[in-house]
Amino acid sequence: MNSRFAQWAILGLTLTFLIGPFLIIIAAALSAGNNLAFPPQGYSLKWVIKVFEIESFRKSFGVSMLLAVFGTLAALVLGVPAAYALTRYRIPGAEPVRLVLSAPIIVPGIIVGLALLRYLVIPTGVTIMLALFLAHTALVLPYAVRVVSASMENLRTDIEEAAMLLGCSRTGAFLRVVVPNLRGGILAAFILGFVTSFNQVPVSLFLSGPGVRTLPIDMIAYMEINYDPSVAALSALLAFMSMAIVFAAERFLGFSRYV
Amino acid sequence: MFENRTEGLALALPAAFFAAVLFILPVGILLSEAFRVGGNWSLTGYIEFFSNERNQTVFFRTLKLGVMVTVVSAVVGYAAAFSIVGLPTTARGRIFGLVILPLMISPVARTYAWLVILGRTGFVNKLLTTLGLADAPIRILFTETAVFIGLLQLFMPLMIISLVSAMENLPKDAVPAARILGANWLQVFTRVILPLTREGLVIGGTLVFTGSLTAYITPAILGGSKVLMLETLLYQRVTVANDFVSASVIAMILIVMSFSVNVLLKRMATARRHR
Amino acid sequence: MSDFVSLERLTLAYGKTVAVEAMDLGIRKGELLALLGPSGCGKTTTMRAIAGLLTPKSGTIQLDGREMTHVPPSKREVGLVFQSYALFPHLTVFENVAFGLRLRRASDLVARVEAVLGTVGLQDLADRAPAELSGGQQQRVALARSLVMKPKVLLLDEPLSNLDARLRLEMRLELQRVQWETGVTMVFVTHDQSEALALADRIVVMRDGRVEQLGTPEDIYSQPVSGFVADFVGFETIRRDPNGDGALAWRPGAVVLGTGPFAGVIRGVSFAGEKNEYVLDSDLGVIRADAPVGFPTHAPGEAVAFDLPRDAAVRLERFD
Repeated sequence: MNSRFAQWAILGLTLTFLIGPFLIIIAAALSAGNNLAFPPQGYSLKWVIKVFEIESFRKSFGVSMLLAVFGTLAALVLGVPAAYALTRYRIPGAEPVRLVLSAPIIVPGIIVGLALLRYLVIPTGVTIMLALFLAHTALVLPYAVRVVSASMENLRTDIEEAAMLLGCSRTGAFLRVVVPNLRGGILAAFILGFVTSFNQVPVSLFLSGPGVRTLPIDMIAYMEINYDPSVAALSALLAFMSMAIVFAAERFLGFSRYV
Repeated sequence: MFENRTEGLALALPAAFFAAVLFILPVGILLSEAFRVGGNWSLTGYIEFFSNERNQTVFFRTLKLGVMVTVVSAVVGYAAAFSIVGLPTTARGRIFGLVILPLMISPVARTYAWLVILGRTGFVNKLLTTLGLADAPIRILFTETAVFIGLLQLFMPLMIISLVSAMENLPKDAVPAARILGANWLQVFTRVILPLTREGLVIGGTLVFTGSLTAYITPAILGGSKVLMLETLLYQRVTVANDFVSASVIAMILIVMSFSVNVLLKRMATARRHR
Repeated sequence: MSDFVSLERLTLAYGKTVAVEAMDLGIRKGELLALLGPSGCGKTTTMRAIAGLLTPKSGTIQLDGREMTHVPPSKREVGLVFQSYALFPHLTVFENVAFGLRLRRASDLVARVEAVLGTVGLQDLADRAPAELSGGQQQRVALARSLVMKPKVLLLDEPLSNLDARLRLEMRLELQRVQWETGVTMVFVTHDQSEALALADRIVVMRDGRVEQLGTPEDIYSQPVSGFVADFVGFETIRRDPNGDGALAWRPGAVVLGTGPFAGVIRGVSFAGEKNEYVLDSDLGVIRADAPVGFPTHAPGEAVAFDLPRDAAVRLERFD
């Protein structure tokens, strides 16, 4: 009885600490007042509506969406074959390749952003958008390789051989029996990559130019000037978006198996 | 395993080449800047950086916060993980989902919440003044405490997740067996649980420690320019003073620290397994 | 009779490790051939080379008069039933079996798949996923999937090793029936001599990447060429021939207990129905001897004389 109580007390306190602030954000977002406060002064949806009216949020949301979708897709295009090679082939130099591919996890994003700005954008004059795209692709790449490798390892190698004996070419076997069985892993990698890229701040910190800014950077910039609940409203909306994606993923493919 | 090496390399190389050219090359050049102050190869950049008192403060503060967040995460993490593992299956899944949930929410949103809570007119101050515990609002925001709280909330889930998966692999009867053999709870923890979950602790510790070291948003929002950490210092040096030498030194510190923590802890975890 | 499949001077290697060296082997049309040997002897490697999953380092493979050495597996018309079955987890039983026919755009696909599912007794499970089947059922699906392609040669990797004793007998009969009905040439790999003896028309005993002996089950069982083969088919006592350069081998039943020039001590005994099986420690090493029930019994620890009669021994060409 006693340990039962302790157990729930610990869980209650921990979860309050972890989730509580998020609930407060929601309450603050629904405030009718003009300043950020909790408990809020009355309730209204005006700040939620205001979010959609702020031009720069709309623009930077678009930028972040594009980056998250195409950066993750590009990372998968590079990462799936790499994961396949690392799990299925005896290749010379597998260890250095693995190390190079995991580097983006070890190197802090802010450094990557700065390095790309200084040695790619400035000397070659590529657009900020392209640099952001490349940086986000590189950032997501290790996750793509890791998640896809994990689900590849659960898949027996001999099904490809069986497919070849039944008339498939090497590539045909990959597309017909490997890819369909990796669908869950690839989708999980996409979601993880999408969320990572969308929420990413440090990489994009230095990579912002006129009219090109990712949403989190734009939110920080807005906060520095305004002290109204619109950022709270936006935060709450984004959180619900992430939750909806993760919930759907968990529901339909047991997402947490892959992470 | 397929034997065709050319095929394997052809599949792996595009990704490796991409990471090398877009990642390792530019970062490498950046790292070399601190050694090339004034056109000559030297350690001047490092000597100057570390002789500056403010830089020292920031360096040690970053380390201190990293260690504190890791230790507190571990302590709370063990209690929480132990409670989660003891739940019936469905409840366990739900609670575990709630622990993972914050990881999917934008760190900006999560940090922003603390502004509302810890601010001058925030929730905590209102509570304190209403209850008469404080006459005037106290300053919490822009202190190390605020940054600590923010980091703890940001990274603790990673520790809990690692510990829960380590505890799930614990032999089911290990704890009761130790109890029957006469161990008290402290002994059960130090002699049974700790050794058996060490790998999870190491993985969680690595994630939390390197995460705290390289955090940007939390110190930026909750610490401001008063409580700089290495990443916010880097940002400030570059944007305010165009000081790429300091940026290069900080980059080196961060990379070396997170790399060595990764390697060291990985070795600690595997050394045990092979014993 | 000319060979349907022939391997000539076939050398197979994984990287620098040579698994099979300069192997010659002919397989006849319609026969059931067993590749028998301990793990690491190169039997599975040989089978993979016939399937085209491994490119030989040197030597050639011919099938039905065609040079096949460098033909990819997809064009060989060879079927392989994997030890782990290798069913496609994302496809139903029906679609697993139909997989190869779909690639060929066969017009009579449904009829052929249903017919072969009938042959292996799985017509009722066509819509199941592989994960919902028992091991024995999965193996039948794998068999059907290969058979439906009408391969020239059907290869089976340890077809009975993952099954329990009852299913094993059932599958043996099944394989013999399939071979009899379809006349397909079958090659199966096994490390279990009793499987090979029971099923095969001919047996290839392999050792360290070479053919040690090739013959009918009767040949292998009663006339092993070497100590290695003899040991494999149940000769427990093998000694150098004192009057020649070969060796002599005795099965446990050929050892005479209670009389003879050798002395031993009973270490253990187990009752096996119509006989008692003894294990003796002696100067000749550990000896296994069977005595029919009704003979005087011996207790562990008891000293006992025994004989290895020369006329009950089988002569081997080589001791090892």
